[in-house]
Amino acid sequence: MRFNRHVTMCLLPAALLVACTQKAAPAGTAADAPQAAAAPPAIRYEAHVVAGGMSPPGAELRNPHEGDAAVAKSGALLFTAMNCDGCHGGDAAGWVGPNLGDGRWRYGGAPAEIFASIYYGRPKGMPAFGGALGPEGVWTLVTYLKSLPAPANEPTQSFEKP
Amino acid sequence: MPDARRSLLSTSAHALAPLACVAIVHCALSGPAVAAAPAAAAEDGQWAMPAKDYAATRYSGLAVINAGNASALHPVWTFSTGVLGGHEGQPLVVGDTMYVVTPWPNVLYAFDLSKEGYPLRWKYRPDVSPNAIGVSCCDTINRGAFYAEGKVIYNLLDGHTVAVDAKSGRELWKTQVADVADGETVTMAPLVVKDRVIVGAAGGEFGIYGWLKGLDLASGRIVWTARNIGPDAGMLITPGQFKPPYEAGAEAGATSWAADSWKTGGAPVWGWTSYDPELDLIFYGSGNASPYNAEQRVGDNKWTNSVLARRPTDGALVWAYQFTPHDNWDYDATGAMVLADLTIGGKPTKALVHFDKNGFAYTLDRTTGRLISATKFVPANWAQSVDLATGRPVIDPAKQTGASKGNVKGICPSLEGGVSPASPPAYSPRTHLFYSSTNNICMDYAAVHTTRLKGTPFVGVNSPYMAGPGDGSLGTFMAWDATTGKKVWENKEPYPNWSGALVTGGDVAFYGTLDGWFKSVDARTGKVLSKFKVGSGVVGNPITYRGPEGKQYVAVYAGFGGDWALISGDTRSDDPADVRAPADFQKDIARHTSQGGIVWIFGL
Repeated sequence: MRFNRHVTMCLLPAALLVACTQKAAPAGTAADAPQAAAAPPAIRYEAHVVAGGMSPPGAELRNPHEGDAAVAKSGALLFTAMNCDGCHGGDAAGWVGPNLGDGRWRYGGAPAEIFASIYYGRPKGMPAFGGALGPEGVWTLVTYLKSLPAPANEPTQSFEKP
Repeated sequence: MPDARRSLLSTSAHALAPLACVAIVHCALSGPAVAAAPAAAAEDGQWAMPAKDYAATRYSGLAVINAGNASALHPVWTFSTGVLGGHEGQPLVVGDTMYVVTPWPNVLYAFDLSKEGYPLRWKYRPDVSPNAIGVSCCDTINRGAFYAEGKVIYNLLDGHTVAVDAKSGRELWKTQVADVADGETVTMAPLVVKDRVIVGAAGGEFGIYGWLKGLDLASGRIVWTARNIGPDAGMLITPGQFKPPYEAGAEAGATSWAADSWKTGGAPVWGWTSYDPELDLIFYGSGNASPYNAEQRVGDNKWTNSVLARRPTDGALVWAYQFTPHDNWDYDATGAMVLADLTIGGKPTKALVHFDKNGFAYTLDRTTGRLISATKFVPANWAQSVDLATGRPVIDPAKQTGASKGNVKGICPSLEGGVSPASPPAYSPRTHLFYSSTNNICMDYAAVHTTRLKGTPFVGVNSPYMAGPGDGSLGTFMAWDATTGKKVWENKEPYPNWSGALVTGGDVAFYGTLDGWFKSVDARTGKVLSKFKVGSGVVGNPITYRGPEGKQYVAVYAGFGGDWALISGDTRSDDPADVRAPADFQKDIARHTSQGGIVWIFGL
């Protein structure tokens, strides 16, 4: 199997990866847990609520690091350190798991939706990483994934030369 | 000509005797090799085990379809399996029933070949955990079932082996053999020998502690578990009984690893198994060493990337030979071990022939495991040759990989292999030739340190591919003489060739291509006799059988997938949220195929 056909993955000394993991995931602490517990994986965004449904009460989950380039960089390291690339490919370009950089999302691409996918897992093989990463680690990954430049949504692929 | 064809198509049982005459006349015309014409009388016309016979030859003595009439082959029946994963493996035909196993969710279909349209007798739909999908390195494939004593036995992706009553479709037993939470899945076809069901687990990309198990055929109870790596006791090695052809030393499965790195050292079993009743030995290959960053497991890493010979009854290891010591390149040895009695240098030899991912074709003495020859069958530059005196490859140091070595460029073959182990070869006792798909792909290999998190990938490499040397052809279907180590002919294909091979008593060989062609070729020359576009790329293995009314048929799965689907750009259409750029060395494969499983049956 292989993981990246476009770009070279960051090559990092193990120590740095560990340091990154520790920094990015002070996680799993008792103080963090209730925040996650208050955010069920249920659909809770207006765009996805079916007719007759309603948004559940409670505050919307917000990414505390939204748009933070330094955190996104840590997230890229964490993406490799936690073996995310083993399934989703180098640069999240897709392997046995889906491409996470194509601007299309099975379970929603809002930061809180991506958070839920990583924290609680998804059917067909996405494990729940909330326990291993804690909310801080998961937000770090969300920040990285949201920093990937999504290509324009071009549904047509032509095989003939114009 | 049409009249002649009609006479060959004659369907009554009485017609079979004249047909046999036709076959013999044909042989007589084709040269002195006829003397060895195999026992056509013994040919039962069935396909009851994955490779047709214990020797794993994928040869059928059926000879109605021959080089003279194969151009008239055409589809007579198709069936959509409703499943999109890669359709590796092959159907079974026992009596008047055809059995088909799908990729996850591993549905087992039983078709009644005695009725028009081949309606289902039953289907068996086990509850297979979707969690297994997340620990399948390379698509959710299944390599087929084995028929024995009224049971159809096969493996489920989520780590179970099941036995199903061949008549009623009722489940007889179901045994958990593997642990998905630890990164194990089961994709191989079982082997049944006497009262043992032999199974192994995939997971070389998840740092498993690889094994082979022997189950009781009647109850499904696990009788023995043999590790492929680690201490002697776990490997079922007893002093005096284990006699490797090249001295390995005591506890080699543990001492040839840095510290206790064998504990997560891989050595999965996901390919094919064979059996020699006379020697009472089963033969199988072990897969790659984990992780791919070889510097995390200094040493030979025995017995990864090896062929192992065991007693079926108690699993005792009798001999083992390692093709690729200290695997730097993910060169699994899980490809088929074909057993053939060859005349080598004038001497009758009980041979084992193996086309390895590492690009060498090996011929071994299967009584001892000793190497007779090893010759490159595709461009390979990681080693110059294999030293027959020591059994070790003569390595090119410049192609050694590891995290400290950075990006090592231009290694051939790629880690997809000179041939994929998923694509088993065939051997004809009439032509004395082996038939195999090949891949002409090379790679760069940038290893990185990686940490094992149970149940997540344990790999540590970035490895882009590129076309191998030559004219841009990325694969072939070839005929190989294992007594001389020479290619006899090859058909170049635009894409890597990922199907298994079939060869028959009519001297016709069959294979499929990734761009969706199913071809019959003259087994002596490679000349294409017929081809048909089967709707999706072929990664399965063709079979042939005699139908209830006496006609010869050929069956094969279409259903693009396996490793190859993962790097072929946009060949899937079921997930609007997952689009892929094409790999730069094969930009347009998605122009020719998409996913989707179809069973095809061809006839004259």
